[in-house]
Amino acid sequence: MTTTTVSFGERLRSGRRSSTASMVFTAVLWACMAIICAFLFFVLFTIIQQGVARLDGNLLDRQPSQIRPETAGVQSALFGTLWVIGLTAVIAVPLGIAAAVYLEEYADPKRWYNRLIELNIQNLAAVPTIIYGILVLAFVVRGPLSVGAVVLAGGVALALLILPVIIITTREALRAVPEEIRAGSLALGATPWQTTWKQVLPAAISGIATGTILSLSRAIGEAAPLILVGATTFITFNPDGVFSRYTTLPVQIYTLVPEDRDAYRDLAYATILLLIIVLLAMNAIAIWLRNRYQRRW
Amino acid sequence: MTRAEHDTVTPADKDATGEIAQPPGHVEVWRGNEHSPVEGAPDGVITLKDLEVYYGDFRAVTDVNVQFGSKEITALIGPSGCGKSTVLRCLNRMNDLVPGARVVGTVAYHGVDIYGPDVDVIEVRRRVGMVFQKPNPFPKSIYDNVAYGPRVTGMKVDSMDELVERALRGAALWDEVKDKLKQNAFGLSGGQQQRLCIARAIATSPEVILMDEPCSALDPIATAKIEDLMAELAKTYTIIIVTHNMQQAARVSQRTGFFTAEADEMGHRTGRLVEFDTTEHIFGNPSDERTEAYITGRFG
Amino acid sequence: MTVRQTRRSGPSASGDHFVLWQGPSVDLTQQRRRMGERVIKAFLVGAALLSVVVTVGIVVSLFAPLTEFFSHVGIGEFLFGTEWTVGFGNKASWDDKSWGVLPLVTATFVMTAIALLVAVPLGLGAAAFLSEYASPRARKILKPILEILAGIPTVAFGFIALTVVTPLLGNIFQFNGIFNMLAPGIVMGFMIVPTVASLSEDAMSAVPLALRQGSYALGANRMKTTVRVVFPAALSGIVAAIVLGISRAVGETMIVTIGAGLQPKMTLDPTQGAQAMTGFIAQIASGDAPEGSPVYYSLFAVGSLLFLLTLLINMISIRLVRKYRQAY
Repeated sequence: MTTTTVSFGERLRSGRRSSTASMVFTAVLWACMAIICAFLFFVLFTIIQQGVARLDGNLLDRQPSQIRPETAGVQSALFGTLWVIGLTAVIAVPLGIAAAVYLEEYADPKRWYNRLIELNIQNLAAVPTIIYGILVLAFVVRGPLSVGAVVLAGGVALALLILPVIIITTREALRAVPEEIRAGSLALGATPWQTTWKQVLPAAISGIATGTILSLSRAIGEAAPLILVGATTFITFNPDGVFSRYTTLPVQIYTLVPEDRDAYRDLAYATILLLIIVLLAMNAIAIWLRNRYQRRW
Repeated sequence: MTRAEHDTVTPADKDATGEIAQPPGHVEVWRGNEHSPVEGAPDGVITLKDLEVYYGDFRAVTDVNVQFGSKEITALIGPSGCGKSTVLRCLNRMNDLVPGARVVGTVAYHGVDIYGPDVDVIEVRRRVGMVFQKPNPFPKSIYDNVAYGPRVTGMKVDSMDELVERALRGAALWDEVKDKLKQNAFGLSGGQQQRLCIARAIATSPEVILMDEPCSALDPIATAKIEDLMAELAKTYTIIIVTHNMQQAARVSQRTGFFTAEADEMGHRTGRLVEFDTTEHIFGNPSDERTEAYITGRFG
Repeated sequence: MTVRQTRRSGPSASGDHFVLWQGPSVDLTQQRRRMGERVIKAFLVGAALLSVVVTVGIVVSLFAPLTEFFSHVGIGEFLFGTEWTVGFGNKASWDDKSWGVLPLVTATFVMTAIALLVAVPLGLGAAAFLSEYASPRARKILKPILEILAGIPTVAFGFIALTVVTPLLGNIFQFNGIFNMLAPGIVMGFMIVPTVASLSEDAMSAVPLALRQGSYALGANRMKTTVRVVFPAALSGIVAAIVLGISRAVGETMIVTIGAGLQPKMTLDPTQGAQAMTGFIAQIASGDAPEGSPVYYSLFAVGSLLFLLTLLINMISIRLVRKYRQAY
């Protein structure tokens, strides 16, 4: 009896100590996280180190130059980015939220056409971004609309690109609103739309805003589809409307790649830094929004 | 037992709004009808005839024939899964929200089948309000919670402030919240939230209020307050309450319906209305042995 | 027998409550016109249908030019040819070029494979760490790091692959050359780490607590529980995450265009530069491809192939996700 108790007790104690294998395993998991963090800091450090020298007034004030990269700026690209993203938001946000509201609040998920729409959106979310460029090239830049390589084409391309992302994140935010809120509103004689507009959307607004900001920031950094819809042209003027020719910051960076003078490289890194600052600011707003207004039901 | 007052009116009494102008105080006693198997049937603000509810292929409730009386409290009791909440949710068509739910038979509100083709579900819900199991105030101010119903249904209101005050007084909540009407309703205690939901329901001036286990999430003191409030509200409104708590049914209701679920030969459990009578009768001298077994705690 | 109404709106007998509806003459038909509701619903349906329109648009824009393309180029030549010289020679001529797409496909898959070698271990390690080991506080700090990594523009990643990672690797592996597939592959791996990690973590977190508790109750420690219980239970979700990562890597444009160069080359050697499918599309689009020229049509042929490949990969991923959602 006594011996059994002792050996059992020993086993209990040794079980509490972690074995070598499990310590190694924990260390490996830590290392994975550490490598990822290290890479992120390496990237950010490189960008800051290489870009900070040219992150000056000229960068914002001046236009691109093929002769004097030392003092050239990217003002036309900065304004082009603002125009394109503004247009993207105007197109994608209402349409994306509307589609999400339809799928979450109105659609019967058992119907084949609603399931088709859902599957379709999941697929669109993973279509390579450059394909959206081909689509807009074929239908908007050339083809039926033939508006040419203007802000409108860029805005449409990025809007279609982030539409599935906005739909998916908005649906998640709507799903987080408890069913009791809807039942309470409908039981008072509110219509489905009144319930959606006055109760569900306000309750989901922080989630929707977070998702929208994150997808817009994804669009800001996107270059591939815009290359196809003609943003690579050398532009030294700020766009003045949706039918104006344009370039954007990521495309501007891409066009600086073939140049091998150091001054161009510095300019490119400064532009990347500018872009990253804009993106980090948007990410910070989104994260803050989420933590600040996250509702616990 | 019937406290409702009735009268016969001619179309000429209808005023411009289509409502019927009648001074109060006319009496006509309801004596049941041939469809109702229930003795001492109340006047039938809502009448259920051969009601069956399906969720997909599953028959949740069958064979419910009952009439509810106006300005009294009717309690629906029975073991879990007996379909009493399902029946309650038919009365203002909240079952419409459940995918796959289907209602067979008749749910008549003053003789009008609310599942009829021309019926607007919103008009039904304006007249038949509902209070839920868990207090579900909207994430808005107390004031906006109460004003929500009148606003969305487009009620013509002289003074919203007055209406809100009247509804909150009606729900015995006014004194507790009058100084913080603009504060978020989530700051209230559970019992206060539930009374706010009652205030919200009566703000649209319904005729019938359905309550689905309104006290199950509350402590005894808050429960007592709600029960007192129900007795007060029954002077004006028809109240139908689903409750798990037999003492509560015995305390507050004038009539009680007992539901139970019985498995058929296939093993599917389907809820049925076993007995419907005055509360006194159900708890004192039930006619059906299943009721007696449940009341005395031998089953359920 | 009819029951009739007793009183209209007004204070009730007790004086406290207000009643609108008392009595039988009820009219439950629609009282207010709600045209707005219908218009709004039509708009919502329209917005949802737009996604279908977009898909149809993609298919039409990609596949319509293919008839012209394949009237000049054999399907077999396109799919199995090992030489791609579309960017050279006379712009208007179909005949002086080789139309074998395999070099582009090979380059895409070499870089995707390198990316997976980086992303799968790191992503799964991070997911296991976040789901099974990290305290809520650590998670609150580490998850935004993944989000920031996911938010870095790919053009910036491409630039870093070209100007920093390539010289670094050149020193280590003794190669010199501006373009190679190793650097963009590795950087692209880090780019898809957030995708793999966050989706795998979702799948691991979805494993019911009861399964874990059962494992602990049997005396397993955290490592055994993670490896033998959580990991197998979440496997289909994890595979779906990896598959989606593959799809993102195959479709990624900027990193491979900037880092791997514009030279189509049939090689498996990662120290060599080779043009990927997306790289070709980007190159042709940023140069001039006159509408109707052979080069212009080849854009759509490569685009279609890319679209079909990623579609196939996505469908596999969606299937797998459904499977693990159904399990619990």
